[in-house]
Amino acid sequence: MAGQIVREWSGIQQFPLATQTKLLEYLGTLKQENVDSLTILVMGKGGVGKSSTVNSVIGERVVAVSAFQSEASRPVMISRSRAGFTLNIVDTPGLVEGGYVNDRAIDMIKSFLLDKTIDVLLYVDRLDAYRVDTLDRQIIKAITDSFGKEIWNRAAIVLTHAQLSPPDGLSYEDFFSKRSEALLKVVRLGGRIKKQDLAFSMPVILVENSGRCNKNESGEKVLPNGISWIPKLVKTIIDVVSNGSNGILVDKKLIEGPNPNEQHKWWIPLIAAAQYLLVQKIRGLIKDDIAKESKAAWELRDIGAAKRKF
Amino acid sequence: MASITLPGAIRISLHPSTAANSASSRRPKTQTHLPSSFPKSNPIKSSLSSHNNPTSNNNIPSSSSNSAPIQSLLSHPIISKTLIISVPAGILLFTLGGGSGGGNNFFNGGGGGGGGGDGSWWSRFFSPPAFAKDEETEGWDPHGLPANIVVQLNKLSGFKKYKVSDILFFDQRRRSTVGTEDSFFEMVSLRPNGVYTKAQLQKELETLATCGMFERVDLEGKTNPDGSIKVTISFLESTWQSAEKFRCINVGLMPQTKPVEMDPDMTDKEKLDFFISQEKDYRRRIDRARPCLLPTPIYRDVMKMLSDQGKVTARSLQKIRDTVQKWYHDEGYACAQVVNFGNLNTKEVVCEVVEGDITQLLIQFQDKLGNVVEGNTQFPVVWRELPKQLRVGHVFNIEAGKQALRNINSLGLFSNIEVNPRPDEKSEGGIIVEIKLKELDQKSAEVSTEWSIVPGRQGHPTLASIQPGGTVSFEHRNIKGLNRSFLGSVTTSNFFNPQDDLAFKFEYVHPYIDGVYSPKNRTFRTSCFNSRKLSPVFTGGPGLDEVPPIWVDRSGVKANITENLTRQSKLTYGLVVEEITTRDESSHIAIAGQRVLPNGGISADGPPTTLSDTGIDRVAFLQANITRDNTKFVNGAIVGDRNVFQVDQGLGIGSKNPLFNRHQLTLTRFLQLKNVEEGAGKPPPPVLVLHGHYGGCVGDLPSYDAFTLGGPYSVRGYNMGELGAARSILELAAELRIPIKNTHAYIFAEHGNDLGTSKDVKGNPTEVYRRMGQGSSYGAGVKLGLVRAEYAVDHNSGTGAIFFRFGERF
Repeated sequence: MAGQIVREWSGIQQFPLATQTKLLEYLGTLKQENVDSLTILVMGKGGVGKSSTVNSVIGERVVAVSAFQSEASRPVMISRSRAGFTLNIVDTPGLVEGGYVNDRAIDMIKSFLLDKTIDVLLYVDRLDAYRVDTLDRQIIKAITDSFGKEIWNRAAIVLTHAQLSPPDGLSYEDFFSKRSEALLKVVRLGGRIKKQDLAFSMPVILVENSGRCNKNESGEKVLPNGISWIPKLVKTIIDVVSNGSNGILVDKKLIEGPNPNEQHKWWIPLIAAAQYLLVQKIRGLIKDDIAKESKAAWELRDIGAAKRKF
Repeated sequence: MASITLPGAIRISLHPSTAANSASSRRPKTQTHLPSSFPKSNPIKSSLSSHNNPTSNNNIPSSSSNSAPIQSLLSHPIISKTLIISVPAGILLFTLGGGSGGGNNFFNGGGGGGGGGDGSWWSRFFSPPAFAKDEETEGWDPHGLPANIVVQLNKLSGFKKYKVSDILFFDQRRRSTVGTEDSFFEMVSLRPNGVYTKAQLQKELETLATCGMFERVDLEGKTNPDGSIKVTISFLESTWQSAEKFRCINVGLMPQTKPVEMDPDMTDKEKLDFFISQEKDYRRRIDRARPCLLPTPIYRDVMKMLSDQGKVTARSLQKIRDTVQKWYHDEGYACAQVVNFGNLNTKEVVCEVVEGDITQLLIQFQDKLGNVVEGNTQFPVVWRELPKQLRVGHVFNIEAGKQALRNINSLGLFSNIEVNPRPDEKSEGGIIVEIKLKELDQKSAEVSTEWSIVPGRQGHPTLASIQPGGTVSFEHRNIKGLNRSFLGSVTTSNFFNPQDDLAFKFEYVHPYIDGVYSPKNRTFRTSCFNSRKLSPVFTGGPGLDEVPPIWVDRSGVKANITENLTRQSKLTYGLVVEEITTRDESSHIAIAGQRVLPNGGISADGPPTTLSDTGIDRVAFLQANITRDNTKFVNGAIVGDRNVFQVDQGLGIGSKNPLFNRHQLTLTRFLQLKNVEEGAGKPPPPVLVLHGHYGGCVGDLPSYDAFTLGGPYSVRGYNMGELGAARSILELAAELRIPIKNTHAYIFAEHGNDLGTSKDVKGNPTEVYRRMGQGSSYGAGVKLGLVRAEYAVDHNSGTGAIFFRFGERF
């Protein structure tokens, strides 16, 4: 990070005034809590709008996006500072390739994040996808396996393409709550989070990156429910940061996981001793077998065991 | 000699109807020993021998050892050599006194007489077929007398051969003729349509008269119109006063009581004294005799027979003899004979039995031509395989003989094994057990070659592309006569460049490390080997077919001690030092598995193949294995349980100081679901097989030692390793076997699980190759000889396939 040139967050000026005011206010609250930098990890399937979201938040076209193909083949960190505050956003390649979780992408992300602390994970998916499947669950599982369960305490779900008209008969709010519920359930399952643990209820944020996004009177991008989403997103991120949990420091141990070859190694002498006893026990059983072995009458007669009974 | 030969069955030889000319020649036949070998290429070679001695009724009075044939038999089912046990059964030890009635001993009865019989009625009993069909061609003389007149025996001409058309028995007491089913009938050697001279008929009469069964016996002929005669034997059965008690004694190895001739001039008092002294002698004899093996139930049967009968008659004695003898022979005491009934006319019947005590055990080696030679094998090696019951002082039992045969055969040192009991001439009633062995060649070497033609440039084979390959193996067996052996084999597909794929194995086996006399049976083995196997760890899951293979080459040295605890259970412990090299398809050392990228590319950063991350591991570890096997065969179906526990304990010696404990426990139960009668040809019972296998490892676990799931010996219906490779696994299986005709059909269900430990293998190969880590299968199959044909459904994908496999799953 040290060698990286941290640029001034100039993009903030492109936001409408109302948004700028809010953002600066939020950053001020963070500064009051002695937080002067924030690292946000953005992950999700390919093509859900991760990079676009990053661009929207920064206010610049920092990551190349294309409608039809994935542009990011490796993780990128965008750092911007404003008034002594540094915002780092890590944009990542899509986690799915060929219908499977792309382990390589995850490995790449992990090694990219080495020695960094993840403050917030934004798990991005589309609002206008109707169902969740096992693949979603596998992605969540892969993330959990890589960064640990605790990451979900520092996570928020981002639903892109928020500007949509829900299918027949459902109101926007209903559709949104159904969709977020389904995703939360997947997170709970994939992350093996117990029900009671999820009392914190992960926040779900709606995002619309499209240029055709509706705007309100002050020029802010608003969602169909009238909420201006960029400040809301930043606000939620800040809420997550200050929910009391710790950021996830990605160190070597976390990347490689505990070395299974070293686990329980100290038990080996004890195990070997127990096995020795077991072998002795089996030998004893075999001795019993010999004693119990049904001998033919002629064998018994000869040793006088038959006592002329047969 | 007629024999029934069934592979896998015990051989039975029916005896001798080939003794065709015996009736006319009337010479005692010499013993014939006819091992009939099958061609060497036949997988089941065997022979049987029988001591075949159709006895004549023209006896030589002095002969006291006359062998009647009984059984011979048996060869071990699955062996490729000749094994023989033969029993010359009638080791004749009984003498038959002349005179009838009177005396208080049955056969030894009245003393005197010619001592004529040599027990021929006995032998006749066994050899009727010998006389069956030899008369047709013989000429005979018409009697030359008017038809239908009764002729006394002494009126017959001594120069004629009479044809006997019919033989009638006339019981004078019952005043009726007896049928052919009567036990007496068997005692006569005359057969209808036989041709006999007067002398023969007289001899026959004499024999009958002296056998002690009859008080009086007469033979007369009746002429037939066609020139033949009809013989009527009229008799009065001997009877004695009724008895209440029965006793059976073993008189083997005791001197036979010699009939003492009574001086006809003795006074009454002298006679009385004589009888008293004889009785005393007899009592002493009884006291000295050893108790016999005959069990109480048989005693009870005999007593009941006696009390039912009232008077003791010759017939009832015959019956007792048959009962007692039948028991002995049924129990395998093939040499046991009832030789005498004593103490008749008292309250007690004494049955004298010669049980067949072994007086000598001879171990003999023969060369290929059957000459006795000094063998290379040391005697104790053979001796320790013999059951105790075959040693001197025990009663010969044919089962013990068979056991000896099997045990000696399992040594694998002999091409031909015979266990032969024969009567001991020096000690009456004794049996010498002869074990005749033909040794296999000590050294053997074999070379098999093959040429492979590899296409050269442009696909055309050239001279240089012809590769000679093959196997050279040699064996040095039975070193020092102590069954130590050294064997080796070298295989390569190209003798010009053997370093490419040279596979070798050298092994030295040293049995009896505690000494050949020690009851402990421990064998030391050391071997030096190399092997190359495809690693099932680097195998793709269902959606991933093309995983680049990893070859695991192992070469090293092994030394272990095997302790045979029972015939099947054993304990093995030893040290293994080996070098493991992992290679990719093109034989280059591979340090990590390759993974196929979704875009079709291949990256070499898969799970590490070795512990040291260099592609070459060296390791030394201790290995112990204990097998507890109580299985047995019930009509060909395996029943019982078998448990195996194995531990590999790493010592921290080797690359990266590997310290580990790798353990496996396998439990298999073969539950017999129905009681069935045991015997050859009977159907096997249905069997339920339950099987569990746990494998686990603590400590350093290189991928080549990880436990893999899936495959014909893990979870059927999947490929080797298709379900995963894990640190600990659990496999459960159940199979139900239903016998159908000569084979069986089965249904099975199996499950394998990695217990969530796939991630504890470095690099998580299960996940990298997209495997499930667990899976079940079920299916059905049928066993066709050695091959199993089965249809197995893979439960993960729900698809089934037919598999053909060799050997057994459990």
